[in-house]
Amino acid sequence: MARLKNRISFVLLVGVAFVAGGCAFDLAHVSFEPTQFVQPLDHCKTFVVANDVPIDAPCNYDRLLRKGSSWKLVGTIPKGEVYKPLDQVLTVECSNIFEAYLVVSEGHMVGFYLPVEKGFVPLSKGIELPME
Amino acid sequence: MFFGIFILVASLPFGCATGPQFSMVQPNMVSESPDEGRIFFYRTSALGAAIKPAVMLNGEKVGKAIAKGFFFVDRPAGDYEVVTSTEVKRKVSFVLEKGQTRFIKFNVSMGFFAGHVYGELVDESVGMSEIVNCKYTGGDTS
Repeated sequence: MARLKNRISFVLLVGVAFVAGGCAFDLAHVSFEPTQFVQPLDHCKTFVVANDVPIDAPCNYDRLLRKGSSWKLVGTIPKGEVYKPLDQVLTVECSNIFEAYLVVSEGHMVGFYLPVEKGFVPLSKGIELPME
Repeated sequence: MFFGIFILVASLPFGCATGPQFSMVQPNMVSESPDEGRIFFYRTSALGAAIKPAVMLNGEKVGKAIAKGFFFVDRPAGDYEVVTSTEVKRKVSFVLEKGQTRFIKFNVSMGFFAGHVYGELVDESVGMSEIVNCKYTGGDTS
């Protein structure tokens, strides 16, 4: 009886393997909208984050803009100015991971710019940036 | 039972990198070509060491993600995607600039039948401190 149970378990396991083998595990995607990126006129504009800024990023992979981190203006998109980090890596992560820059409008972070995908990922709510 | 044994075996540290330690290789941290940047790939954890997926950089196989191992490649400035395929295919995308050094760390997460090995772009300071305990695998593309 025990042997029969083991066999049934094994057959079930193989069956699940066949079914799951056809499944797409890549379930969580970052939603971004293609956007127009324009080089800045002012290549020297930078700011420093005065305090740690936690961010509710997509897929619950929270991010932190570190106190003292420096950010340099590298372009603009219709949603705001795009700042690249000079001393920390910023990414947006779901099933895949994308390098990301900050999009800032009127002193508020409004989303992420994905430089490889050339897309904009909006935040549900803008975050005021403490700048130095 | 079978599943448990498989997970146990896959978690054993055989299959770890066997090359010289990072401190012995002492590679330059930047590319020698001014038009290129350098990308370091490394995997610190011995978890799931039997799983050594190929590392694809913009569709080209540049090495394997071997536990406790590292390797590096030089590439022209541009946009890059690193893909590893185990049960699932996961990618990390980033920009490489001239003279820049980037670090891709391979992590292992639990999968349905085996661990998933996926790349993560990390800060240079993190990469520099973690890679010293890894061994050079020489970008094995076999």
